[in-house]
Amino acid sequence: MTLPAPPGDGLPAPGPVDLKAEMVRATEALGRSAPGGSAPAKATRMMSDLSIDEELVLHSIGWEPIELVSGVSIHSVPMYVWNWGQGEIEYASAAYARSFARATERIHAECTKAGGRGVVGVHVEWEVHRHHVDVALVGTAVRPVDWNGLSPDPIFVSDLSGRDFALLHNAGWEPLGLAAGASFVYAPRRSVGTAVKQKGQNVELTNFTEAMYAARESAMERMQTSALGMEGTGVVEVKVTEGPMAFAHHAVAFTAYGTVVRLRAGEHRHVGARMVLPLDDPVLGFDATALRGG
Amino acid sequence: MGEAPADLPEAAVRRFAEGAFTSGLTVPDFAACLQMGLEPVGFVQGYCVMQWQWYGMGGMGLGMGLGMGMGGYGAQYANTGGYSENWPCPHGMVSAEHRAWGQNFEQTWVETAWTEGFTSSYDRMVEEAASVGAHGIVGVVDTNQPLSDMGVLEFRVQGTAVRVTDGVPPADGRPWTTYLAGQRLAKLVEAGYAPVSIAAAVASVRVWANCITENLTEGSNSMYSMAQPGSEIDQTVKAHSVVRRLARRRVRDQLDHDSLHGAAMATTEHELGQGDAELQCILRGNRVRRFKGFDPMPAPVPTVRLL
Repeated sequence: MTLPAPPGDGLPAPGPVDLKAEMVRATEALGRSAPGGSAPAKATRMMSDLSIDEELVLHSIGWEPIELVSGVSIHSVPMYVWNWGQGEIEYASAAYARSFARATERIHAECTKAGGRGVVGVHVEWEVHRHHVDVALVGTAVRPVDWNGLSPDPIFVSDLSGRDFALLHNAGWEPLGLAAGASFVYAPRRSVGTAVKQKGQNVELTNFTEAMYAARESAMERMQTSALGMEGTGVVEVKVTEGPMAFAHHAVAFTAYGTVVRLRAGEHRHVGARMVLPLDDPVLGFDATALRGG
Repeated sequence: MGEAPADLPEAAVRRFAEGAFTSGLTVPDFAACLQMGLEPVGFVQGYCVMQWQWYGMGGMGLGMGLGMGMGGYGAQYANTGGYSENWPCPHGMVSAEHRAWGQNFEQTWVETAWTEGFTSSYDRMVEEAASVGAHGIVGVVDTNQPLSDMGVLEFRVQGTAVRVTDGVPPADGRPWTTYLAGQRLAKLVEAGYAPVSIAAAVASVRVWANCITENLTEGSNSMYSMAQPGSEIDQTVKAHSVVRRLARRRVRDQLDHDSLHGAAMATTEHELGQGDAELQCILRGNRVRRFKGFDPMPAPVPTVRLL
């Protein structure tokens, strides 16, 4: 199944919009004294951190942004846990998982309060400090334009952009939520014998490699379990980080999060992308840098 | 052209009167503006330099430091007129070092100073634009940065003043403003939104940690933690939620019945040690007004670029 072909054979000729007239109309609307009162659609005040492009693409699938929402959680990591030990640093892994879960709960609550069906374009800010793990989620609550507020499905939270959300929607998929997993593992000390044997040689430090693999397995497993818990088919746009901690070089961390998706339609719908060949060569040596840049 | 304000530098008045326009727009943005009937008039700016001390302003710093060890005294300092919430220690008198009182409070003096800096520079830019007979200002950029390391903050707002071909001048004489320019602005208008103004607000919340927050943030396993190791740090989390909520409320208060578009929320945290922190949340965006009904544009065509 493909999407209905765009009108006309070539790229759609956007309807003849008289931009100048629209601009004049817009500025006239500003002159009216009672803000909102005279607007055709009785103003529902909305707040969105989506770009105008993202909003328009949401409109094209019949959705609209309504409110800027956020959720924050910080969990403590007790003292001494970063001291050299063996196996997983469970306090740190748990702090990450709990912070993610609580922050998600809170952004859910704000979305529900705002009357949203889900949150898109969530900025995920997370930091692991020595003694606390911080997670902050900020995004825009959205809903179908004609939504009556009732839905059997739970609210979704997704870090996909408005564009990605619309694309998924058109392809017959839906986001279900954010799945996250992290694992912090000590790289075990080498035995004295091994350390002496490896001294001065360029050899693999299997203790680090193994710790990295252990961390990765646990983290990916947790993310996957979380996705299955949401009855998702898979996770898209997974972001992973891995490496030693800045404040504890003998500990390695692996973190992963992404948006859980599920096929909503009977089958995946081919989006039918049209190929374009830009004829403009990139101009080198001249860059009209905006004063607005940066 | 309107009457130039008396305090506009004389050179500026002369420069604007000379005729050629200046503009901060990129060439594509410039072209898009002309296409939608916006003629650039001049590149306008506003500045304001503020003394800037977030710590201990309002004569509170010293009093706070002394008050902390003395139990309930902390409460009265934070009578700032904004949000404040006490986090008393559940342990009673333990020792002079024990943080027997914690508090989250809104640093209204920081917010007031920020608002003054921002509003003054914004007003100056708008005044400049009004003096050259502009209807609106597009492509606004606002920045604030330390001017020196001595607690001086420079607020700067700049943009390109434009006139709408065949358009009406603003009713109250104040040009409309938007962060957008070029094709994005064209799409905004096409989607049925008129730019009203840029909107920005700051919220500032100070965390004076109580003993539990201190222990959890510093990882101390003190017998007075009273919280399970690895617990959530409620006081700091609350401050984070509140600072974002305050910024949103501030901006919403400016919106009247309008909407906020393309917002950006930036929260920063200064950790001050021992669980203390100062949180600042700046929310800015485009205030827009719907001037026609919901009328989605045709679905965009997905394309793949061949290179």
